[in-house]
Amino acid sequence: MPNVVNPWVGQSLKRKEDRRLIIGDGQYLPDLVLPRMVIMGLVRSIHAHAKITKIDTAKAAALPGVSAVITGDEFATWDSILSDLSTPNLPGETKRPVYWPLARGEVKYVGDPIVAVVARDKYTLEDALELVDIDYDPLPVVVDPEQALQPDAPRLYPEWGDNVLYHQHITAGDASAAFAQADVVLSERFRCHRTGGQPMETRGCLATYNPAEGMTLWLTTQRPHIQRHLLAEYLKIPHDKLRVIMPKDMGGAFGTKAPLYREEMIACHLAMKLRRPVKWVETRRESLMNVGQGRDQIHQIELALKKDGTILAVRDKILADCGDARTAIYVGFAMPFLGAMYLINGYDIPVVDIDLTCVVTNKASLTPSRAFGSFAGRFAIDRIVELAANALKMDPVQIRLKNAIKTFPHVSAVGVNVDSGDFPGAFAKACTALQYEQFRTEQAEAWKQGRYLGVGFCMGVEISGVPSEVLVPMERQPGFGVATVQFDAHGKVQVAEGDSPHGQGHETTIAQAVADELGISPEDVYVTYGDTHSGPFSAGTIGSRGASYTLSAAVLAARALRPKMSRIASHLLRVEAAEDEFEFRDGHVFLTRDPTKRVPIKQIAEVALLSPTALPPGMEAGLEHTSHFEAQVAGMHSCNVHAAMVEVFPDTGAFKILRYVAVDDAGAPINPMVVRGQVHGGVAMGIGNACFEEFLYDENGQQLTTTLMDYHLPSALDLPYIETIEHNVPSPHTPLGSKGKGEGTPGMVPAALANAIEDALRPFNVKITQLPLTPERIWKLIQEAKRK
Amino acid sequence: MKREITITINGEPYTATVEYRLLLVDFIREVAGLTGTHVGCSVEGRCGACTVIVDGKAVKSCMLLAVQADGAQVMTIEGLARGDQLHPIQDGFWEKHGLQCGFCTPGLLMTLYEFLKTPKHSDEEIRAAMSGVLCRCTGYVHIVEAVKHAIAKVEAMTPEERKVWFPQ
Repeated sequence: MPNVVNPWVGQSLKRKEDRRLIIGDGQYLPDLVLPRMVIMGLVRSIHAHAKITKIDTAKAAALPGVSAVITGDEFATWDSILSDLSTPNLPGETKRPVYWPLARGEVKYVGDPIVAVVARDKYTLEDALELVDIDYDPLPVVVDPEQALQPDAPRLYPEWGDNVLYHQHITAGDASAAFAQADVVLSERFRCHRTGGQPMETRGCLATYNPAEGMTLWLTTQRPHIQRHLLAEYLKIPHDKLRVIMPKDMGGAFGTKAPLYREEMIACHLAMKLRRPVKWVETRRESLMNVGQGRDQIHQIELALKKDGTILAVRDKILADCGDARTAIYVGFAMPFLGAMYLINGYDIPVVDIDLTCVVTNKASLTPSRAFGSFAGRFAIDRIVELAANALKMDPVQIRLKNAIKTFPHVSAVGVNVDSGDFPGAFAKACTALQYEQFRTEQAEAWKQGRYLGVGFCMGVEISGVPSEVLVPMERQPGFGVATVQFDAHGKVQVAEGDSPHGQGHETTIAQAVADELGISPEDVYVTYGDTHSGPFSAGTIGSRGASYTLSAAVLAARALRPKMSRIASHLLRVEAAEDEFEFRDGHVFLTRDPTKRVPIKQIAEVALLSPTALPPGMEAGLEHTSHFEAQVAGMHSCNVHAAMVEVFPDTGAFKILRYVAVDDAGAPINPMVVRGQVHGGVAMGIGNACFEEFLYDENGQQLTTTLMDYHLPSALDLPYIETIEHNVPSPHTPLGSKGKGEGTPGMVPAALANAIEDALRPFNVKITQLPLTPERIWKLIQEAKRK
Repeated sequence: MKREITITINGEPYTATVEYRLLLVDFIREVAGLTGTHVGCSVEGRCGACTVIVDGKAVKSCMLLAVQADGAQVMTIEGLARGDQLHPIQDGFWEKHGLQCGFCTPGLLMTLYEFLKTPKHSDEEIRAAMSGVLCRCTGYVHIVEAVKHAIAKVEAMTPEERKVWFPQ
């Protein structure tokens, strides 16, 4: 353990990265310019399912300023994109779409890329894209997942024989017996719509190639190392000749920049073909058509309970609409799979029977979106528990406390390891904040006056990084965190991390943690990332692994430097002392027994790097260490409770969120202000997804929500003040007790809100089973209830 | 169709012969090379990341042609600070963690620059003022705090200081 008094960890320091961002000096992908650079754009399908009968590129190619126009034929010699490397290796029955960077012969969804055009600037490009002429022969379309299962449904991939992409049956215990013994059985169908990410910066890339040095690709990605690993295979470029760089800054991702996409493959190919740098910046319309489309599940869920509220078993038939599933790494079904594994979540339910079916439809592929797979499932489980509470006339908090995980570590019935947490404590804080008992009196009084107030809860566990045990089969990637900590010749410390932060604040939080380990100031620590040629190999910034895995690796690497630094100090001070007889603080290494004997850390670095003649005899020069951190447990989590208080206006179905209280467990927060920011953003995305946002398709598979006017991201006026309350239980498995925060947060929101709305409308006795929570939907429920 | 125009950005005149269809945001980013102004929604006018000050008013620069701004005084995020001294709104964002990825930040700062000239104080009014710019990271909670931080500083300014920090 460090023998310093921690002065930096736990402080809400201002972020180091902000200085450049608030003065306009951020470096985002669209800002990059290279000599001779050309701009790429794509002509995309206007049909959801069709044969391409003619592509006429002559007029576009003839336009002055256009340097290339290519079609799918260009990739005829390529293997299909999905290989063993880029397909999950999960138990269950899996099928794999065959496809290429540009459509060949057939299109499968509105937005499918057919022709790539390269021009000298984006205005010329727009002109050229309009000159490409494509004829289609439309095919029957399937846009509904239940219809996709029908024997006569149109097939996306005729060679499969059906539209089932993935099927998995997850069981624990004897469900039939448990249901037979139950006092109460509830059964309900819940539908979660298609919604998800949408960062403010769209995707983009800039590829440049020369035969000697190979390819350099700047890419908006959460995982440069993984993309390099896959792209080398697709482009048939040796791994050493492919460098992938996430620019210094990236405008959010939320999962949407985790997959490897077809567009970057096309840009790389064109850079090789033209021997010119090729840049592509996605338009918002393209973004809304292609990425961030997540959730989209139907749950037919059943709960078996005893009279006292004890949950005996859950049964769930999940149908996930994965769209066309043509996305490397995730293939549409990795998210529903993890969602199924996390269905029971914070509940200790001993018997589980989950049947997961993932189907393909003529829609854009599912892509990861913050909360990954667990948004729809969280809605289903916390809604059915709410219905159970109603049926048993139990308090919604009591039924949750009765069934929440009580002892830690806990291994769920399906094998998810939950390391630490405290649900009763979190509920107590939420209830105190809401003055819950008093609220029930106010609620009854309000009903008498014709006002409809309600409160709703959701509880759950949120992943704190993903261990290798899960990530290797799910994404064929390691889960470890990795960082190299190295002193430079001026006594400053560079931390090269394997991940690619883009708003999470690593430059600050990792600096805080490393500063404590080495007794220096965060000002003297700089964090670098994003370049496969200057940082260690890692899975990237995903799944709340920054504060859990990556930061822990940096802590261990810094810690590993101390014995050598102590030996150098001992040598310079000419004292006999063991490695553990020194303290690191205030920029110095002190001899503990005689603090007047000290060496500036800057001097130790200078000796190790600039004047190694002063090193102890035989000692190797340099001061750096790389650590790979893997938790010695198959899963780390935080346990959280969220509560919403709403007022519903029955005349319109509109509702107002009066309070939103998020009680969250960040273990031992490195920077509480950054943690609060993560919770705020996660709740905001959850509210947006649950209330305002929906990717809509018509019956022909036409996308109806391709502008931000139609796909409504919440503005400041749409969102309430979000109250954050810490309820931290330090992780026993990370060196500082820290936990990751942010990924799972949106998943808490839909059930909390739906439960609150339903609670407010108790006099009408409505039942909410569908998202999003639009005024129209709520109004209709009220009207139906009135007719009964 | 092309025309020579001059647009003064952050006090520096930029003269170029541009196509009529060139958007002001592209003039700022590509002709003047000031990449602090961002494009988030590809000229829908919804996301607000491209907001700049044109002759004293906050406008979405993807909604204006460069030729329409011929002769105008434009101020972008790069023009807010005075040397190493940050504008109160920049300072507020830094102090209160008003940004995460930073992509919408230029639009918010410029929108709020205009608001701070005659600030209002309730949360609702602050939120209304910024509702033309979308942020996906923060949930706006810390941004409201950042604005309040800035309001306090602006209201403590002398008239001379106001002229320095609000030149248009």
